[in-house]
Amino acid sequence: MLKQMLEKDWDRVADGMVPNAKEELDQSPYSTQLGMSMADDARKVVAGNMDIQSFHKKYHSSLLGEFGDLFTQEPPKKDGSSTKGVKWGMVIDLQKCVGCDSCTVACKSENRTPPGISYNVVLEEEVGEFPNVAKVNLPMPCMHCDNPPCVQVCPVKATFKLENGIVTIDNDRCIGCRYCIIACPYGARSYDFGESYEDEMLSFNDVTSPEYGIERGERGTRKTPIGTVRKCNFCLHRLERGEEPACVETCIGDARFFGDLNDPNSTVSKLANSPRAFRLKSDLGAGPNVIYLK
Amino acid sequence: MEAYAKQELQKGQKSSAAFKWWIGSLVVLLAVGGYFIIERLVFGLETTNLSSITPWGAWIAFYIFFVGLSAGSFLLSSLIYVFGMYQYERIGKMALFTAVVCMIVALTFVLMDLGRPERFMNAMVFWNVISILAWEIHFYVVYITLLVVELYIAMREDLVRLRPANNIRGKIARMLTFKNSTITEETKKRDHRWMKILGIFGIPLAILGVHGGTGALFAVVGARSAWNTGLFPIIFVVSAMVSGTALLLAIYIIKTKVTKAQIDRKMVISLGKMMIAFLFIDLLLQFYEYLVGVYGLEPHHLHNMAIQMGGPYSWSFWGVQMFLGAVVPIFIVFYKKTSENINAILIAAILVVIGIIGVRFNIVVPSQIVPVFEGMPAGDYFPTLNEWMVSVGIGAMGLLIFTIGDRLLPLEEKPESLEGEGS
Ligand code: SF4
Ligand code: SF4
Repeated sequence: MLKQMLEKDWDRVADGMVPNAKEELDQSPYSTQLGMSMADDARKVVAGNMDIQSFHKKYHSSLLGEFGDLFTQEPPKKDGSSTKGVKWGMVIDLQKCVGCDSCTVACKSENRTPPGISYNVVLEEEVGEFPNVAKVNLPMPCMHCDNPPCVQVCPVKATFKLENGIVTIDNDRCIGCRYCIIACPYGARSYDFGESYEDEMLSFNDVTSPEYGIERGERGTRKTPIGTVRKCNFCLHRLERGEEPACVETCIGDARFFGDLNDPNSTVSKLANSPRAFRLKSDLGAGPNVIYLK
Repeated sequence: MEAYAKQELQKGQKSSAAFKWWIGSLVVLLAVGGYFIIERLVFGLETTNLSSITPWGAWIAFYIFFVGLSAGSFLLSSLIYVFGMYQYERIGKMALFTAVVCMIVALTFVLMDLGRPERFMNAMVFWNVISILAWEIHFYVVYITLLVVELYIAMREDLVRLRPANNIRGKIARMLTFKNSTITEETKKRDHRWMKILGIFGIPLAILGVHGGTGALFAVVGARSAWNTGLFPIIFVVSAMVSGTALLLAIYIIKTKVTKAQIDRKMVISLGKMMIAFLFIDLLLQFYEYLVGVYGLEPHHLHNMAIQMGGPYSWSFWGVQMFLGAVVPIFIVFYKKTSENINAILIAAILVVIGIIGVRFNIVVPSQIVPVFEGMPAGDYFPTLNEWMVSVGIGAMGLLIFTIGDRLLPLEEKPESLEGEGS
């Protein structure tokens, strides 16, 4: 029976099930008319009868009037690129961090880093003098700086910033001069000396993590990152699948937040602008995108 | 001209026993070093004591040391060819040749230090214009080319004179010059002019490009405050002048002693004074560097100085850099009884060179001992046997190239060609 249904039959069924747009919109505090005509024009845009720029032009001022500060989207530029893409950032709440090092472990197993390399560390420090002492745990991944000193110094452009803010390393180009390790103010980078857990952990070498989305195959072959520099990549391969970085997902204290710092409505943006927020070594001007809450 | 060629002929043939020993031991050292170089290439940097906390070690220290020697020797040669200090002309070509050999040695150290030495060409192909290191690599190439051309022009006359000689020196001279090359007043003038032009281009290249730039490699690193000063590249250049002058002085004295030639006492004494003058400027700049550092009260910087002067490497700072490399040579050159003594001046020159090795280590290592971020583990570095032996091998390679070049090329200024410049 279903097979014999024509388009208009489907329309009839849909009309019966979908609520009346006007009635629904009337219940909201915002203008019904605006919503209705936007929907009409949106259909035109989808059908190709109207271009997106004129759509934005037509509605931008009325949307601003209607929603005020809540409306933050800007029209896409002529060439199709939007003014601000996503900029990944992380917020770490030091009050919630218990110093359990789960993030370090999760990172090591996710990225299968060799001995001597950890993309994430948790520094533990005692501050103050007895009896007024406090213990501070400071988890530190790569800060994915806005003006990364590591990128400045690399002679061969093997390390660079992606559009989404992530600082990457091209392990096929890196010559292993280690200048970037010298220049990084946060000690985020490590050199791969070629060590392996193979002795303790059978077949450690067979499986490697697709860092920066690139499968490098067995550790020890030609495409391995041995002899080059490695660091945290915000689990780019997981982001591409729509997952959070492993350290964020695993954090037992829910101390880590991850998201788009360019979206003012994201959790990370809000937290990053809270009065508790601070950045490490902010005087250096590197502009870290890992932000801490004290 | 014939007489000169004949005299050269005899010289080329007699290889004394001492010379054979010298070459022999260099070859042995190179072979031993070669074993360790192969070990390093096969097993990677695991053979070193480097880590992600102290990623730069002995090889980088030697690299900047030899770049400094090269720049210093070149600048000394330009004192002669550009500023007309012909009283030092005796060592002019030697200075240029030393500069070339030192650059070869320096770049070999860099090659050893790369995690992926087979990718060294990447540094030429992908040029990150905001990276000082990328600029340096290109400057080095231009600089070496300029040195070779300048050396060739400086030797041209002697090469032409050597053409008739019936030995290997003559053969090389014939290979390097055209059949119809002559020496006339005109070519003399032309060569002179070119020497001057190349020297003039070379001076900013050596100061700003090669050695100031090598200092800037360190000075631009904001994360390491002890390096991050504007004075730093200048100190590099001045200490390069110190070590370059000292090295050439030592080479000249040793060579004249070995060949039992007539020594130019006046030149030796005045070069010794010049070396100490550069050393004084160097010490002065360093003094201000430390003074400003102390008053800056920047914890990382203070920590760095504390490690340099009072940490596990303080023997290198006080013992090598300050005592052997500065106090003793200054004393020798100014003390009446030793100031005219050639042997004493030789010792002073060698000590200064050793002192500058100390300076280079004290620049590279202590700054990486202080953790880059408070709370991270401190560095702990001392070169391994492999690192030492690789360095010995590369050093022996340099000396071998130098000795062979010295044998085959007319690097020594002949008295007759000196007379012409006397004006
Ligand atoms: S934290 Fe270090 S490695 Fe990461 S982007 Fe900044 S400078 Fe580069
Ligand atoms: S080690 Fe690699 S990534 Fe780092 S500066 Fe050198 S070439 Fe660039």
